[in-house]
Amino acid sequence: MGLLQRASVVVTPGVVTPRQTVQATVVVDEPVRRVRSARLDWGYVNFYQYHWAGRVDSVAAEGNDTMWTAGQVGTNYGGDRDTDDWVSVVVEDLPIAASVFDGAASSFRIPSWAPASSQAIARWECRLAVDREGRDVAARGEFVVQIGTGDVESYVEPLEHVSGAAETVVDVSLTKPVWRAGETVTGHVTLVPSTDLPDGDLAVSWQRERESHPLTRTPGPGGQLDGRIVQLDKRIQLRAGTPVTLAFELELPDDAPPTAAAVHSSINWFVQARLMYRGFNGHSLERVRRPIIVVNAP
Amino acid sequence: MSHAQQPAAGEPPPPPRGLTREERGRDVSAAQAEAEAQTSAWKRFLHLMSPRLVWSMADGYPVVVKQFLQFCLILIYPAWVFAVLVGGLFQLAFYVTVYPLLWLLFWPVRAYQKKNNPEEYAANRAKYANKKWYET
Repeated sequence: MGLLQRASVVVTPGVVTPRQTVQATVVVDEPVRRVRSARLDWGYVNFYQYHWAGRVDSVAAEGNDTMWTAGQVGTNYGGDRDTDDWVSVVVEDLPIAASVFDGAASSFRIPSWAPASSQAIARWECRLAVDREGRDVAARGEFVVQIGTGDVESYVEPLEHVSGAAETVVDVSLTKPVWRAGETVTGHVTLVPSTDLPDGDLAVSWQRERESHPLTRTPGPGGQLDGRIVQLDKRIQLRAGTPVTLAFELELPDDAPPTAAAVHSSINWFVQARLMYRGFNGHSLERVRRPIIVVNAP
Repeated sequence: MSHAQQPAAGEPPPPPRGLTREERGRDVSAAQAEAEAQTSAWKRFLHLMSPRLVWSMADGYPVVVKQFLQFCLILIYPAWVFAVLVGGLFQLAFYVTVYPLLWLLFWPVRAYQKKNNPEEYAANRAKYANKKWYET
């Protein structure tokens, strides 16, 4: 018996969508002896951000923004770090005959709620763990979960008012709620001014939001990424009771990570519109956003 | 926000998710929460000098780092008290010197508001009616 026991897990097919079944084949170089137990763990590695040290809202944290510590490495209080945790979905005990393990095969049906594989959220794996007297044997096989249009519920989510005094009621309507990565999002922005207002400057963009919500650790702040800003019109006449409708087109990136909700983090997509008023006056910027669902399989 | 469909029969239920920073609320130490709960500005100022609050700044750090930080915080405690006192003095000096100047400088603005927007002016005065000068 060699000192280094090698095993490998091969998962087929490599790319699947929810409710499909994958097969895992465990191959060992030579039979592993003196085995106590062996199990297969199906699940995903969940990527998220957490606050690694210090209290988030401590008085000391206010010192992070002072001018005299700007650019001074190591003088900040606390901080956020990227990390990952294993989320186990199904654990399967493999039969062991006479303390010898010589390979196995198993299948797993991807749950309908499975978060899609992406660098920001999850990497799906099948992990083998062989517990034995002596050096344990571990191996893992990876597979990719893609989310198709049929795997998500298609409904229009309510518009979110982000900022502004709603002097102009801004509404974003889309031709459909579910979009595929690389697709061009089309829709309309409707402006309904409540009073006569200065000329408006309207722009739209997509927005990707990643939230961290770890079970035990202190969550990180989360982050937002805005897409290319598409300027619709710089001088829209805003007169009381005269609605203005403008069509827009937004291109989603080809490698867009799909909308996903995992245990420790999630990704949400939006189409946002912002309206600025011309000149220096008391009118504040209006910002609204409409949640969309992004998928990456047909 | 969950977009996935309800779990189908025969599949494991989705594991529960955690809470985001907004959902968890303010993350402060017990000593700081106590200091922030003080209604009077004077008591809040005194709490800022409490050794317990300074000591609690090491909360949430990993073991060993935390003990080292607590040791450093004890060392700098006299300097902290000095800094808070000097800061308080500066604040006091600001109220005594700069505030009267600003009061004088913005006299025409207030007079204009009082004349042209009397309701707003009265509402603003009422907002600060029962407050001490250091609470404004």
